Amino acid sequence: MNATISFDSVLHVVLALVGVAVFVGLNGLLLVYAERKVAGFIQRRPGPYEVGPQGILQAVADALKLIGKQLVRPDRADPLLFWMAPVLAFFPVLLLFLPIPFSPLLTGWDVNLGLLLILAFAGFNVLALLLAGWGSNNKYGLLGAARAVAQSVAYEIPLLLAVLAIAFQEGTLSLTAIVGGQGGMPWQWNIVVQPLAFLIFFVSALGETNRAPFDLPEAESELTAGFHTEYSGMGFGMFFLAEYANMIVACSVCTVLFLGGWKGPFLDGAWWFLAKVYGLLLSMMWFRWTYPRVRFDQLLNLNWRWLLPLGVLNLLATAFVMKL
Amino acid sequence: METPAILAFGFYFLVIVVGCFMAVGCASLVRALVGLVATLLGVAGMYLLLNAPFMAFMQILIYVGAICVLIFFALMLARADADGDEADPAPAARTFKGVLAAMLPGALLAPILMLHPTASKMIPAEVPLAELGRRLMEDYVLPFELISMVLLISMAGAVLLVWERRDK
Repeated sequence: MNATISFDSVLHVVLALVGVAVFVGLNGLLLVYAERKVAGFIQRRPGPYEVGPQGILQAVADALKLIGKQLVRPDRADPLLFWMAPVLAFFPVLLLFLPIPFSPLLTGWDVNLGLLLILAFAGFNVLALLLAGWGSNNKYGLLGAARAVAQSVAYEIPLLLAVLAIAFQEGTLSLTAIVGGQGGMPWQWNIVVQPLAFLIFFVSALGETNRAPFDLPEAESELTAGFHTEYSGMGFGMFFLAEYANMIVACSVCTVLFLGGWKGPFLDGAWWFLAKVYGLLLSMMWFRWTYPRVRFDQLLNLNWRWLLPLGVLNLLATAFVMKL
Repeated sequence: METPAILAFGFYFLVIVVGCFMAVGCASLVRALVGLVATLLGVAGMYLLLNAPFMAFMQILIYVGAICVLIFFALMLARADADGDEADPAPAARTFKGVLAAMLPGALLAPILMLHPTASKMIPAEVPLAELGRRLMEDYVLPFELISMVLLISMAGAVLLVWERRDK
């Protein structure tokens, strides 16, 4: 990072943010459609079918419906907190895309502490869920928020431990440098050296992004819709977009840390990066429609009894090997 | 270079001050917490202005991402309604004492800073991460360890307080 804030660099970051916003919006449409088609395929039904050929316009119709709906605030809900929450959920996520190297040339803001930037601003998501749950003046919302805290505080620790193992190994927090430390062939990727860290990272990322089987803050069978029960129209739409954007960030970071980023066996470039990210996203959807939701005590036990000790051991082993 | 830095300073200053007054003045504890978050973010912005991005990101990661979330958890357990005792207007004497207590550190520190000003640089240099770690673990290892002692003592104190309550 440079102290000389020039007009060019500010313009660069602003342009990158606009690009990221477009990318997130389009991916929202794509992933909603993909999610429903994957769900349909796994449950042996066609999924969206009526709107356009193979239901391809379904997501667009959904988006238009969300934009058109009235925004309702419950009686006696705190207006400041209630409206701040969706904004706080969505906008910080855009920042998370800045340090991600999509290709050798395509990086929004090549900051040498990129990994830390992502981890720092990812924390806003929890805060937004909390404010949404509290500000709604709704018992289901509050219960969802309470679960969100316990879950995300717990799952952040193994996530950090897994990330630290890679940072130890590469000796840097810059995502570009971490990609640079890996080769193009699959056996030169970090996942071969750090399979346990990859497993811990992926499971914790599912927990952090509130994805099934860990989607307890919005468990519809118990909590209606959890923290976003009271949100209508784009209030809900922003939470929804933020969730998908968080998934993309988690998968992108996973790709950068463990799967060689934009490097591939031939023709390095953004296509390899996107192929790996979408592969991971597909497996996240696959998980969601394959495994039933865990109970809350199971969720926390898995974290504190397995992921955390394994993460610490993995980190110690990494440090030991690095010292040798 | 000068003007954007001053504008940024003014913006962060505004965020910090507004956040502070929200944190102290709001009857709703959750709104007060939002004010605290704004203040902490403003301070993170100041670190960025000092060209210490590591400090800024750590500030956000630890204070906003962890501490504030834990405070929120405590508020949720305490059922902090906006129309509780906190909603009553505070007596003038208490407000006066509060302002006095808030100004005391400023009054103590400001003369020292004014009498012994450190030379400021036009463009602050970014300290590399490795250098930061080496200094913390070698030159300043004693203060570093003492801070962890403070945390340990406060944690033990919290446990002790709960222990005494349980006997009654």
